[in-house]
Amino acid sequence: MPTIAIVILILFSAVLAGVVVARPAITASSAGKILAFGVLFFLPLFALVAGMNNEMERSKSTAFCLSCHIMDSYGRSLHIDDPSYLAAAHFQNHRVPADEACYTCHTNYAIFGTFKAKLGGLRHLYVYYLKKMPLPEDIRLHEPFNNRECLHCHLGARSFEQGATHNADPATLPAIKANTLSCVSSGCHDVVHNVGHWGDKVKFWDGGS
Amino acid sequence: MRSGDSMDRRLRISGILVIIGLLVEALCLVWSRPIAFVVLVVLGGALIGLGVLLFLYSLVSGPPHPAKASGVAQDKH
Repeated sequence: MPTIAIVILILFSAVLAGVVVARPAITASSAGKILAFGVLFFLPLFALVAGMNNEMERSKSTAFCLSCHIMDSYGRSLHIDDPSYLAAAHFQNHRVPADEACYTCHTNYAIFGTFKAKLGGLRHLYVYYLKKMPLPEDIRLHEPFNNRECLHCHLGARSFEQGATHNADPATLPAIKANTLSCVSSGCHDVVHNVGHWGDKVKFWDGGS
Repeated sequence: MRSGDSMDRRLRISGILVIIGLLVEALCLVWSRPIAFVVLVVLGGALIGLGVLLFLYSLVSGPPHPAKASGVAQDKH
């Protein structure tokens, strides 16, 4: 449901609840009882669930993640004009949805992945508002990046399965799939955001979305 | 104090809690910041939840509303 529709529903519910507050005696009639049940039970709970669902969806957006100032340089890293930068290459070539770029790679593709991602987000909020914020370049993942997140898309893809480097050693592909050889920290695709280490030569591509 | 007054008071408080909770929720939806989600769930959710619970409590705890009783009497005529 669009945000504006939920806001209109909320305001409508609030106005009706105001009627009950102003004239509680109307609940003496059957119609009044139905009105009271609707505006003091059904509509508020429906609006709350719809609002939470809306916020959950919005929290997946790239704009949401980048709305915290500390994430500015991570957002900028998506526009680096260098295909060796993993995040930039994925974002600019739409290998991940551009409007959900952060969430697509940083969620956990297991049964409680979204839930864990949201809990992680709450921890970010806690640090952002109540603790001393680290420098952007000092931010680290909570746990090592699991190949499962990469394989969610790449597994079965020809470029992955038949890639020359992946097949140079017969042990490589099984090790990647078993998560014993990391995609991003084994010297292969280890330039991801590289915040704080860009140097002066890095260029940016600001085309696309 | 009449029992109807007591129920009216509970309905009023319940309605006020729900209205404030709904307004908090509306503000959070318009305010696109990460903290808005927490405010929506913690503050908006708590206010709406309290309002709904108080409304349900007023239903099960209150005796028949006097106005209803008089209405039933009028219906019989």
